[in-house]
Amino acid sequence: MSRATTTPRESPLLPESDAREVALLFVVAALCFLAALVALSARSSYGAAAEWTSASEGELTVRLRGVDARAAGRAEALITEIEGVAQARLIPREEAAQMLAPWFGSNGLPAGLPVPTLIEVSAVPGAGELADSLTSALGAAGFDALIDDHAQWGQDVRRALGMARFAAFAAVALLVATAVAVIAFATHAALLARRDIVNVLHLSGAPDPFIANLFERRFWLLGLRGGSIGAVAALGAAALLVFALGSHAERTWLLPRLSLDFWDFLILLLTPIIAGFASRIAARRTVLNELARTI
Amino acid sequence: MIVTMTRHSPDRIDAPSVRFDRVGLRYDSSEDVLSDLTFELEQGAFAFLTGASGAGKTSLLRLIYLALRPTHGEVYLFGQRVSQLRRAQLSALRRRVGIVFQDFRLLEHLSAYENVALPLRVQGQKEPNYRADVEDLLNWVGLGERLHARPETLSGGEQQRVAIARALVSKPDLLIADEPTGNVDPNMAERLMRLFAELNSRLGASVLVATHDHGLIARHNAPVLRLQNGLLVRDGQERAG
Repeated sequence: MSRATTTPRESPLLPESDAREVALLFVVAALCFLAALVALSARSSYGAAAEWTSASEGELTVRLRGVDARAAGRAEALITEIEGVAQARLIPREEAAQMLAPWFGSNGLPAGLPVPTLIEVSAVPGAGELADSLTSALGAAGFDALIDDHAQWGQDVRRALGMARFAAFAAVALLVATAVAVIAFATHAALLARRDIVNVLHLSGAPDPFIANLFERRFWLLGLRGGSIGAVAALGAAALLVFALGSHAERTWLLPRLSLDFWDFLILLLTPIIAGFASRIAARRTVLNELARTI
Repeated sequence: MIVTMTRHSPDRIDAPSVRFDRVGLRYDSSEDVLSDLTFELEQGAFAFLTGASGAGKTSLLRLIYLALRPTHGEVYLFGQRVSQLRRAQLSALRRRVGIVFQDFRLLEHLSAYENVALPLRVQGQKEPNYRADVEDLLNWVGLGERLHARPETLSGGEQQRVAIARALVSKPDLLIADEPTGNVDPNMAERLMRLFAELNSRLGASVLVATHDHGLIARHNAPVLRLQNGLLVRDGQERAG
């Protein structure tokens, strides 16, 4: 008997990927792109809001009514001496005019406009509640003062921040669930398309985990590839945003300050891994459920 | 009705390879495809299964190679009651059965060589360990020069020979062949039957061949299970007993 000199290496038991899997790869990549971008945006917004609130905490504004420049100077000196105050600064009229420029224009304020006298107060870190001390000290000295410790503003920001975080989390969860559902659907379709192969393997004595592993490996790689493409695209989009916002910083100061740090890169790194695991688990569950219908 | 098949290899006296105990089969809400079948195929037996088209031959074979559960009754394979086995145990049993499907069921993306090697890969064997066996078997069925050929490039007869080689490669304890000579010339049909007989006599494997070919049955001295409208009928051909 003649013997062939060369024998081909073992081909995969599942055929190479077909058009359906290319389409699925695109869908997984798109979903991962959206999920990563939402996660990055959520983190960025959260970071910016946290920065705003931490900056506003420890800052107070004292508004004095019916005082001239001399009395304002006295009030500033009095505030500086109160325990827990790190710094007090009388805001000059020119600076107040700058703050009001969006409403009154850059030609200065009308002469008769009663601009309140404002003193910016910074608290010593960990000094605790200062508003009451300021109110009583200024009141005792005969000043008609209003203290704004920005608590309401900080509370609003924190509330908005919590809602934004919840919305982002829900969006990411929804995208992940959608990806898993799409993959499960695709695995089911792939299984139906390859029922002949599954059937032959099954009747050849292949245990269910053996058959499931074939699909698991295939979809694990598909998830990793799709997730990587999505993560790289999200990185590109985020970098573009960082660049775009950075180059127009003077006009976009109210928007969250974007940057890419360790945690952002961790999100991008985890995206393909999560996609891979989600694909793998979806494929395994689908295959085992299908096989359970057979004897 | 009880049809007990006669053993050709008297060296093994274990439980029958196949035992049907009042087995019936019905697909969905249709009429019974198989009714009240009771028979044994003893270890080392060689038997034919025959009957007109639609008599239930393929359904009976599917029950034996564990592709179906009976609607009622019990199927025993190698002494094990199939209905009581877990899935992993069923897989292990299937590895002891070689099947030649009527429609071959070759995997289109695999070469002839890889199709034949499939049951060995499923068993976890490594390619260098089985290469010689697979090549020898393909040489034996006359396809030594077509190891790399994909099924779509093979003729019907060649595909059938690949399917037969795949069923034999793991040296099964039970070989089920559904019309194995339907697409091969008489010469190859005789060679295949000799191979089945050799598997039966040398290795003690039980062989059940479903066929329409009365000439083939007549040329081989083996008991016959005859199906008629889903029932087993005594053929009177228990000539090897």
